[in-house]
Amino acid sequence: MSGDVDCEQLREIGPELALGVLSGWERAEAVAHLDRCADCREYVRQLTQVGDRLVGLLPDREPPPGFETRVARGLARRAGVSEGQRRAPGRSRPGPHRGARRPRVRVAVVGATLAVAVGFAGWAIGTAVEEVVASPPATEQSEPVMVGDMTPAGRGGQDVGEVYAHPGPPGWVFVSVALTGSRHDGPVTCYLDRPDGTSLRAGDFTLRDGHGNWGVAVPGDLTRYSAARLVSSDGTVLATAQLQKAQVTTSQA
Amino acid sequence: MLFVRRFQHRVFGVARAVTGDQQLAEDVAQQTFERAWRHAQIYDSRRGSVMTWLTSIAHNLAVDAVRARRTEPMAPEDLEDLLDAVTETPERWALADEASAQVRAALARLPREQARALMMAGIYGMTARQVADAERIPLGTAKTRIRTAMAKLRTATASAKRGDHVR
Repeated sequence: MSGDVDCEQLREIGPELALGVLSGWERAEAVAHLDRCADCREYVRQLTQVGDRLVGLLPDREPPPGFETRVARGLARRAGVSEGQRRAPGRSRPGPHRGARRPRVRVAVVGATLAVAVGFAGWAIGTAVEEVVASPPATEQSEPVMVGDMTPAGRGGQDVGEVYAHPGPPGWVFVSVALTGSRHDGPVTCYLDRPDGTSLRAGDFTLRDGHGNWGVAVPGDLTRYSAARLVSSDGTVLATAQLQKAQVTTSQA
Repeated sequence: MLFVRRFQHRVFGVARAVTGDQQLAEDVAQQTFERAWRHAQIYDSRRGSVMTWLTSIAHNLAVDAVRARRTEPMAPEDLEDLLDAVTETPERWALADEASAQVRAALARLPREQARALMMAGIYGMTARQVADAERIPLGTAKTRIRTAMAKLRTATASAKRGDHVR
């Protein structure tokens, strides 16, 4: 990498860099310059923001019928695969994303990042379940699922989250929780309770300001479980959910 | 509020605008949610909203999809329609944040040839060379149009942050 690009040249190619349309070698030289020039980093950061806002102007559009369900099924399938394979890098189904990614400079111009873990699969599955239960379409496939609304422990009242569990195999459980009253920060443990009083520790995840979303593969028959609990590290039960059996029905469009 | 339901119109809208193809757009939109899920741990709330993050993922995937599939990145009539769509100001945009409103207004004020070049690069992911070929102009002219248009939008964004109103 020659690093020959100076500030003046960077100002010339910055817009194309920010939009991700520079050729590979031009981009490499520009990024090399950004590594050592804070002013140009800021310049490109602003241009990248302009590019994001430009894309943000694109109009929303109604997706095809059944889109939510297909997304949910895709995520569920991936949940099983990823847990079953314990992450097989580079293995993904054929599609547009298999090609080289666009050389956006976002990462290059941003320093250390604070990663905030957000799991989306629970929402996605919930979308499918809610829709299908509300108004079942013509079905071709039906799958069992365990669902439950989370309520604050001991206080009842408004729902603070959702639990979805796919009996499997492979079984998996997703939890989405927003404990708006507690602002709890830190690790919590999710337990699945059986009617006989025994429990399975499904796993741990972290809440930030009372919010967290998490999923994990769970061995065994999940229909044996009747409830889920979230417990803080000091043993306080934060929220509970009674699990009910339901069916996810999907129409193959 | 459930995640897919909340963001699907945005994600699909981006995918459909870039690809111009209903089926390809659905594939892209679905992959957007799958990628978001797989890479949720790298979402950085300081760098923008979840909406912005998903929009960016959808846009990148859509551009990749178009690049992999087509020799011509976009049809000229699609560009004109899209340019009209993003510069219109119906009531539903009234609630958009100030910076986005300023970018929209600035885009509408650009000379048409600059706006076209910017849309080709910024929305369809076309290189300056591709813009030059599509518009039948020299490469340097294409680069100048992209650069000038971006500079004007950057100024508009900066004005919005300062609370100015660009007229």
